[in-house]
Amino acid sequence: MDATILGLLLLDGVQNGVVYGLLALAMVLVFAVTRVILVPIGELMMFAPLSFVWLQGGKLPGTLWLALALGALWALLERGRGRGLPLVGGAGLLLLFLLARGSPALAYLAALLLVVYLGVATYRVFFQPMRAASPEGEHRGATVLALLIMAVGLHVAYQGLGLVFFGPEQYRPDPLLQGEATVGLTWQGVLVLAFALLSAAALYLFFRRSLFGKALLAAAENRLGARLCGIRPEEAGMVAFAIAGLMAALSGLLLAPLINAAYFMGFMLGLKAFVAAILGGLVSYPVAFLGAVLVGLFESFTSFYASAYKEALVFLLLVPALFYQSLRAKGVEE
Amino acid sequence: MRRYLWFSLLLLPFLLSPFPFYLTLLNFFAIAALVALSLYVLTGLGGMTSFAQAAFMGVSAYATALLTARASLSPWAGLALGLGLTVAFALVLGLLTVRLKGHFLPLSTIAWQVALYILAGNLVGLTGGHTGLTDLPPLSLFGLPLDTPFRYAFLGLFLLALGVLALKNLRESRLGRALLALRGDALTAASFGVDPAALRLKAFLLAGGIAGLAGFLYAHFLRFVNPTPFSLEASIKYLVMAVAGGVGTIPGVLLGAALFTGLEDWLKDLLPLLLGRQGNYETIAYGLVLAGILLFAPQGLWPLLAGRRPSGRKALPQGEPLPPRPPSGRRGEVVLEARGLRKAFGGLIAVNGVSLALRRGEILALIGPNGAGKSTTFNLLTGALPPDGGEVFLFGKEITGLPPHRIHPLGLGRTFQHPHVFPEMTVLENAALATYARTRAGFVRVLLGLHRKEEERALATAYEALRRVGLEGLALERADRLTAGQQRLLELARLLASGAEVLLLDEPGAGLRAGEKRELAKLLLALAREGYSVLIVDHDMDLVMGLADRVVVMNYGEKIAEGTPEEVQKNPLVRAAYLGEEAA
Amino acid sequence: MKRWWAVLLVLALSAWAQGTLKVGVVVSATGPAASLGIPERNTFPLIQEMVDRQGGVAGRKVEFVILDDASDTTQAVRNTRRLVEEGAVAIVGTATTPASLGMIPVVAEAKVPMISLAAGKEIIHPVDAQRFWVFKTPQTEELMARAIVADMAARGVKTVGYIGFNDAYGEGWARFFEAELKAKGLQLVASERYNRTDTSVTGQALRIITRRPDAVLIGASGTPAVLPQRTLKERGYRGLIYQTHGVANPDFLRVGGRDVEGTLLPAGPILVAEQLPSTFPSKRVALDYIQRYEAKYGIGSYSTFGAHAWDAWLILKPALERALKRADPARDLAAFRAALRDELEATRGVVATQGVFTFTKEDHLGLRFEDAAVMVRVENGRWKLERVFR
Repeated sequence: MDATILGLLLLDGVQNGVVYGLLALAMVLVFAVTRVILVPIGELMMFAPLSFVWLQGGKLPGTLWLALALGALWALLERGRGRGLPLVGGAGLLLLFLLARGSPALAYLAALLLVVYLGVATYRVFFQPMRAASPEGEHRGATVLALLIMAVGLHVAYQGLGLVFFGPEQYRPDPLLQGEATVGLTWQGVLVLAFALLSAAALYLFFRRSLFGKALLAAAENRLGARLCGIRPEEAGMVAFAIAGLMAALSGLLLAPLINAAYFMGFMLGLKAFVAAILGGLVSYPVAFLGAVLVGLFESFTSFYASAYKEALVFLLLVPALFYQSLRAKGVEE
Repeated sequence: MRRYLWFSLLLLPFLLSPFPFYLTLLNFFAIAALVALSLYVLTGLGGMTSFAQAAFMGVSAYATALLTARASLSPWAGLALGLGLTVAFALVLGLLTVRLKGHFLPLSTIAWQVALYILAGNLVGLTGGHTGLTDLPPLSLFGLPLDTPFRYAFLGLFLLALGVLALKNLRESRLGRALLALRGDALTAASFGVDPAALRLKAFLLAGGIAGLAGFLYAHFLRFVNPTPFSLEASIKYLVMAVAGGVGTIPGVLLGAALFTGLEDWLKDLLPLLLGRQGNYETIAYGLVLAGILLFAPQGLWPLLAGRRPSGRKALPQGEPLPPRPPSGRRGEVVLEARGLRKAFGGLIAVNGVSLALRRGEILALIGPNGAGKSTTFNLLTGALPPDGGEVFLFGKEITGLPPHRIHPLGLGRTFQHPHVFPEMTVLENAALATYARTRAGFVRVLLGLHRKEEERALATAYEALRRVGLEGLALERADRLTAGQQRLLELARLLASGAEVLLLDEPGAGLRAGEKRELAKLLLALAREGYSVLIVDHDMDLVMGLADRVVVMNYGEKIAEGTPEEVQKNPLVRAAYLGEEAA
Repeated sequence: MKRWWAVLLVLALSAWAQGTLKVGVVVSATGPAASLGIPERNTFPLIQEMVDRQGGVAGRKVEFVILDDASDTTQAVRNTRRLVEEGAVAIVGTATTPASLGMIPVVAEAKVPMISLAAGKEIIHPVDAQRFWVFKTPQTEELMARAIVADMAARGVKTVGYIGFNDAYGEGWARFFEAELKAKGLQLVASERYNRTDTSVTGQALRIITRRPDAVLIGASGTPAVLPQRTLKERGYRGLIYQTHGVANPDFLRVGGRDVEGTLLPAGPILVAEQLPSTFPSKRVALDYIQRYEAKYGIGSYSTFGAHAWDAWLILKPALERALKRADPARDLAAFRAALRDELEATRGVVATQGVFTFTKEDHLGLRFEDAAVMVRVENGRWKLERVFR
């Protein structure tokens, strides 16, 4: 193997890893605040570019009706003034979509907001009632498991909907930037890298520096404490899902020209992001991001040397990492 | 015998014989139900989540396929090899993974699952690759070929019924209680002699074996194997079934298996009728049904239908208690001794050179203001924390650094600051947990139901202990129905049932009403008179001073005074420590 | 108990009211093979309309019961058992090789003829006691690999690289392609795998490029087949690129765009039906199918996979007519199924969209290479007939 190939593989690994990293960040965020392992993040990610492609073709995507339906349920679940957000948001979304048919810039925005709205509505309709129903402290493990199974159920349903809305094949929206920056790296790839680093930094600052970010994390640890700080846990969860939706949608839109978007593409991305998130112990943003890049690099090299066994090797290599993490984890036994 | 009613499952093929397709579904139900049962052991009892049950099925399915289709051996040899391989496999994976904590275990099972799937798909020479292995022979039993769904269903359901009985035995045994306790709180379980890693590993093996059995059934029912039925998606589907039905109960996982096996087909019938056209709507509806179940029954469907009753036995024990173990030996002899204990957390020295001795038949109190290091000392004595320095002796034997499950059988029992009772179990079972170290039945005996006699005696022992603390009337209630005070008494009953003679009580008076405290004091005094040695950690001065023979006072990690209650109360250092605290 | 008797009664009544021929269909409308399965499913309404307009088969109504197997073996087997037990006279399906293989023991045990819509040769070869009941319409990988290797040899290709799906599709192609290369004396220098869901195949592409093959075959189906081709081009590969007939749908061209210009692939004649010489047997039948499909689902919507289902019916219909003369399904279903199987095997010279079917006792594929495969090139975003083998 010569230097060129090594360089190309490294570049490829970083590019892939950064994608996993973006999703891993979103998953860590959601888990930290809500204890939900957001399995359907891959579907949310794919909904954005696919909706965008539909809008560009002048059609209204099925995801719009899904979002509005969930928004209606959300409004039903809220009382009084709380209904304003889903209703106004839904109406705004519909209007935006009607305006955005054929206008690429508006379509981009519309696809983005659609996924954010869908993310929040998903939390409000499916996860929040579950969390409210489970008494604090009792059966924590079971509750995380139940939340996980709920996430799996939504993944199945959203993937099925993706197939109905967008068909079985892939779509490739035009990249925002054309051409190659250097051998092996397109300008669109540069854009993805820049966006990834930026969002990693932004999340870090948000949770370490801003009061709201800290309070958000506190909501995960201690609901009463968070309530005393003026944050309702429901709100914290919705904010987390909104941020996760935003990140998923943006990375989906930026990536789609590179990887081709399809309803089935999300799950494996999400799974590998989950792997990376676990490497970060589901708590640390920088470690999760680094873990993701590591997974990407490893994948790139195994696909060069033993492509048939790539997935097996990637997942098996997790095991030593898990051991290390597990040994490091504090506490005798929980 | 009500338990044998499960064999009435074998009537189902006759009932369903007019509907041939339901016979097929019945077979798939039996296979799915076996896998769901394996998840009952693993998740419902053991609190572990596995995303690799389909991989275990696959190991056994491929083993029997290779042996029968390639080497033309008997399927029963395939069964033996399949089960052997699955368990061996589970052993390797288990040794590597059951010690993993939290999310690491489920994630590592995902890793194994994906890796095995890829191997099955790519070792073309051995496994036939993604295309699979064809032409497996049908099973035959006593010369009768099981080549129709009708006949095959009997085998599947028979094995299922056996599985259910075996796991009911497991649930109503020392091992089942220990697993449930491990799931709720490993430290409590370990304090009664349960070795967490070993027991988890055994549960993992058992679950792997059951899944392997299901894989064998699957292979010879389809008579064809390829990797897709043993994929991560399949594993997730089984977990979904179990959790949706209620993974904590046997009827729950069976219900889940039945519901989701049928659901796929009912949706195929129903959706075209509802929507008026063919389409790809089954998976959507499947996902939404699951979401609905979880929203309205987060514990699963069965607990919703059956109410939140404990799943244990419903009758009081009749048998003879285990041989009593009254404390013996000379009163006043040192039973538990600590010399120069030290423990630091990072830079903070929590316990610094503490020595103390507990003598037989006395009540010794360890007191001190908040943050004095009492609880840490307590944890060092019981093995919950390893000390950085110093030694601990129990009956003259060094136990420094031993884990709690090794210390308990030597005769030391403890309670917790917050009572650790397990709501899935009855009060009686909670107490019977303590007999774990006094009973012997292992997995084989328990699964075969050969432990009943011992089990009756264990329960009788627990019942005796409950009677002693006055809880016998609540023996069959759910443990979380008890008041805080009753939970304290339950913890005491556990200690009595465990046969330990050195009793370490962490704040036994906390949360008790005045009357309850008086009862508690009376009980402790009586125990001490019988020769039990009691160490109490508390800061409730009234309780301690009226009860203790001697008092050890700690402050800032060090022992500052020791003596009778009167001596200690007069000690200026003690007054300063407590006054200081009150002034702060 | 009462309700059960009611159900029984209904069953009995429906059996009595017979006259309807029930054909069971298993398709992969969801899951990884959906891109193949959906056009197949879409084809059955066309068949139903046609049959209804013609007043059924020999005066009997035909009912297609279509079940989705989600590209999963277990579900395919379940569906098959269900269809068999609901009295289907024949089973059509399914799109993937492993699932079709899983269905074989079921139909063989129940003695129901089956027409698979999957490529794998092992589905119908060798014709043993079980495969006695099984036929299939799509070209095998072996047959298509022959077309590719013949084309490669004609272009003077000496060394070849392969990259395919890490699933049954890619594996089947790897196996038969390799065998065919060996037979023709070409050398396989790299054999790589990737997943449908992969977002990058740079590693595999680099590996292939380092071996400098004259041509590369991509063993994948649908739009995910674009990624390796684009990566190979981006990484500077300038040799010939072949695809399999699994990409023969309009979406491949849409997503591939300029990146797939010049791609060579083997295909059933239907892909380029209007360009075929008028002497090509399948031309008229293929055009007829395309016209019907596009009338219902839109211009440019057809793919060759749906045509396999259409062909299955073209074979099944005359066999049904002949079998109805020999046995009455309402009176003796088993005898009718056996008669239908015999009549299927007796199929001679049925011109279909993908070739001409002639089954024999030893050959349940029934296609001749010359009639069933053509080479196609992608030119200006359209399929262009490159070579016929007649």
